[in-house]
Amino acid sequence: MPRLARIPVVVVAVALAGGVSACGSTETPAAAAVDANGNQVVTVAANTDFTKPVQITVPKVDAIRAKVPKAILDRGRLVIGSGALPNGSPPLNYIGVDQRTLTGVEIDLSRLVAGVFGLTADEQNASWQNMFVRIQSGQFDVGFSNITVTEERKNQGYDFASYRQDNLGFEVNRNSTWNFDGNYQSLAGKTVAVDTGTNQEKILVEWQTKLRAEGKALEIRNFADRNSTYLALASGRVDAYLYPNPSIAHHALQTANTPNPTRSGGTYSGAGATLQGLIAATTKKGNGLAEPLAEAIDYLIEHGQYAQVLAAYGLKDEAVAKSEVNPAGLPVTNS
Amino acid sequence: MTTLTRPAVSVRGAVKSYNGLRVLDDIDFIARTGEVTAIIGPSGSGKSTLLRAINHLEPLDSGFVTVDGELIGVRLYRGRLRELSERAILRQRSRIGFVFQNFNLFPHLSVLANLVEAPVVTQGVPRAEAAARARELLARVGLADKADAYPRQLSGGQQQRVAIARALALRPRLLLFDEPTSALDPELVGEVLAVLRDLAASGTTMVVVTHEIGFARDVADHVVFLDAGRVVEQGPPAEVLVSPREERTREFLGKLI
Amino acid sequence: MTPISPPSAPPAAAEDELSPTLASKKVVPLRHPWRWVAGAVALVVLAQAAHALVTNPAFQWDAFGYWFFRPVVLEGLVLTLELTGLAAVFGLLGGIVLALMRLSRNPVLRAVSWGYVWIFRSIPLIVLLLFLANVTALYSTLSLGIPFGPSFVEFSANDLLSFFVVAVLGLSLNEAAYAAEIVRSGIISVDQGQLEAASALGLPKWRQYRRIILPQATRAIIPSYANQLIGLLKGTSVVYITSLLELFGVVQTQASTNSGQIIPLLMVGTVWYVILTSLLSVVQYYVERHFSRGALRTVPPTPFQRFRARLRAVGVAR
Repeated sequence: MPRLARIPVVVVAVALAGGVSACGSTETPAAAAVDANGNQVVTVAANTDFTKPVQITVPKVDAIRAKVPKAILDRGRLVIGSGALPNGSPPLNYIGVDQRTLTGVEIDLSRLVAGVFGLTADEQNASWQNMFVRIQSGQFDVGFSNITVTEERKNQGYDFASYRQDNLGFEVNRNSTWNFDGNYQSLAGKTVAVDTGTNQEKILVEWQTKLRAEGKALEIRNFADRNSTYLALASGRVDAYLYPNPSIAHHALQTANTPNPTRSGGTYSGAGATLQGLIAATTKKGNGLAEPLAEAIDYLIEHGQYAQVLAAYGLKDEAVAKSEVNPAGLPVTNS
Repeated sequence: MTTLTRPAVSVRGAVKSYNGLRVLDDIDFIARTGEVTAIIGPSGSGKSTLLRAINHLEPLDSGFVTVDGELIGVRLYRGRLRELSERAILRQRSRIGFVFQNFNLFPHLSVLANLVEAPVVTQGVPRAEAAARARELLARVGLADKADAYPRQLSGGQQQRVAIARALALRPRLLLFDEPTSALDPELVGEVLAVLRDLAASGTTMVVVTHEIGFARDVADHVVFLDAGRVVEQGPPAEVLVSPREERTREFLGKLI
Repeated sequence: MTPISPPSAPPAAAEDELSPTLASKKVVPLRHPWRWVAGAVALVVLAQAAHALVTNPAFQWDAFGYWFFRPVVLEGLVLTLELTGLAAVFGLLGGIVLALMRLSRNPVLRAVSWGYVWIFRSIPLIVLLLFLANVTALYSTLSLGIPFGPSFVEFSANDLLSFFVVAVLGLSLNEAAYAAEIVRSGIISVDQGQLEAASALGLPKWRQYRRIILPQATRAIIPSYANQLIGLLKGTSVVYITSLLELFGVVQTQASTNSGQIIPLLMVGTVWYVILTSLLSVVQYYVERHFSRGALRTVPPTPFQRFRARLRAVGVAR
């Protein structure tokens, strides 16, 4: 029976073999290059399985570069923070199909902005909480991570340069008959999931208060992360999931051929009924980067690169006409 | 012979209190080289504390102990007794064998390893030499075949005999026994007492705290009767155990018989 | 007069049946049919569960197969092993030091140890890691030198505290607090007489601990520490807060990119954890067996020895 005595040894060997092969991986090369004229050539929408990569050329714009704080220019790198750990939000910011590289429209736009500044983009992924801590402590120059402009965040010490509309949407199972008609009363009797600490949660809680006053119920559920929320939606524990609209179409596409397909069930502004919500590049208050960021985004809007990158991800509907520094955001109390 | 009557252990003015209770209350006593000294007395009389004070397992509040004329656990410095360093105390203990009521063998070490450990570590005896001597000692206590056993595989009497061999392995100048048979089943007491008798016959200096009055009468050269932390009476067993002078001693012996 | 027979059978008749030949026969033991029924029910339930697991399309076993040996998943697995291994070693060493401090006669050391355990058991690990990961923003240089005095060597905090170092440091600091209590409970479970005997033999203090107390304490420590270790293995997943992705972090990230495959990806993580905890359990069994020397009258046979003995008993092997 000596063979029996060897079983645990075999299992150990498999585990070790896995360890050895895992050490042989290589880093994916950067998605930006420099052409003959000294302009950066950024490949956007690479590393995706639902769209085609597009090459976009960005010149260094000295007038804008001059406004970037000297410490960053001396470093030569723009440190861009993303809060996509451990869960990403395709197609905004997430780990792409190579299973390694930070990808998405947020990241690609930030690369273009770095190109206008004539800086190398240094994208770093962090957890959502850590991203804010690192922006505050100056370890990240700027966050491009689907951050909504809110008055509360302004009070907490952040500056904003807006670059995209913040539209929310309701994701529902494909066989659901419910649709959001733009009126909060259509949510009566429903159970809706929402991410904690977000502006959409704020909006949902207000609707719940209004419905209660009318004697109607709206159940709100928070889950640990987006994966858990999707599972709750698939299992029917929640009727809908309120979150950023760009992700809904993407998730519906991904689930199309699975046992639990989904669809979009209606949209809403991320800043409430009276205000268009805005997504913005976020910096530490007073670090002097908000102004050049807005100018760089305006430059990209005027010269077409902005439209190209949104088009590459199918997000033309979320475009803004102009970047604004510290625009009005979701009010502290939205009533 | 003068060498036989030289004091091996001398205790002077020993005082020890626990929470205001005087466990040892000004005790003087002598144990002579080559003799067996038995300490008897009711429980709580301070017998064990006195024995443990001899090798400084129990530091005294005042008073002192000498073994072969050497102060134990303390030194004289500028007219006062000061406690020695932990190292120095441990070094002194390595020449005083101590046998516990509950054996206190090291259960995770084999019988042989129990015997070899201390001579190798504290006296630098080469391991092979220590092992050879350990086997001799085991033969002497009648356990030559148990060298590779673990303590818990042995009976209580066998464990106590191993404990005695472990104490002997350090070639002590003095052996202290703390009620060596109290934890044993009655039928196992005899085998341990036989080892003690054998040691006494070979002239080993021993101080034995015991309840075995018969053993004290047959083997001891000197008997000390303690009560309430004081020496009530001491002398040869024929006096103290057979015709005691003190009423308290008579009362105690009467209860035992 | 006919003799009146007693109402019950006379005892003499039963006595007759108990002939000497009967006395020499083996007694038939009581049968336990319900044990067989319970065993059969348990097997049916198990088979049902296995069937439900294998046939439910939600588990997407083809996707499971794809992800199980993916390089990213294996890298996460390696990171899990590295973090667990290092934190287990440093945590245990720290725990031993803290436990000895707590048991020492020095009131300052005792208080420091108590305070350490109190504070590090109170701080949520995720907060500790977030703090350590950003400590570089508060203290940009660390230096070695005289306390409150001049320093000899200075390090840039960012160079010294890579995310990996931060994660190992945070996990170890946290682990040490728990290990301290486990080690302390092991040490105080050793009979006081052991220390007395060792010190009566004149063994030096360090030798008393290393040779006499710790080996005996280890026996009491192993089961608790194995529990703690398995908790740590899975608990390493919080390191995502410092931007490191171990096994569970990788599974979460990849599931968020491939949100149609959340369940198979979670299953990949689960199966790897099952494999790792199984390995730990096997190691625990043998280490425990090693340290049980002397504690039991006879060391129990290993499962393989027992299996072989069974086979030998039915004549399959010799």
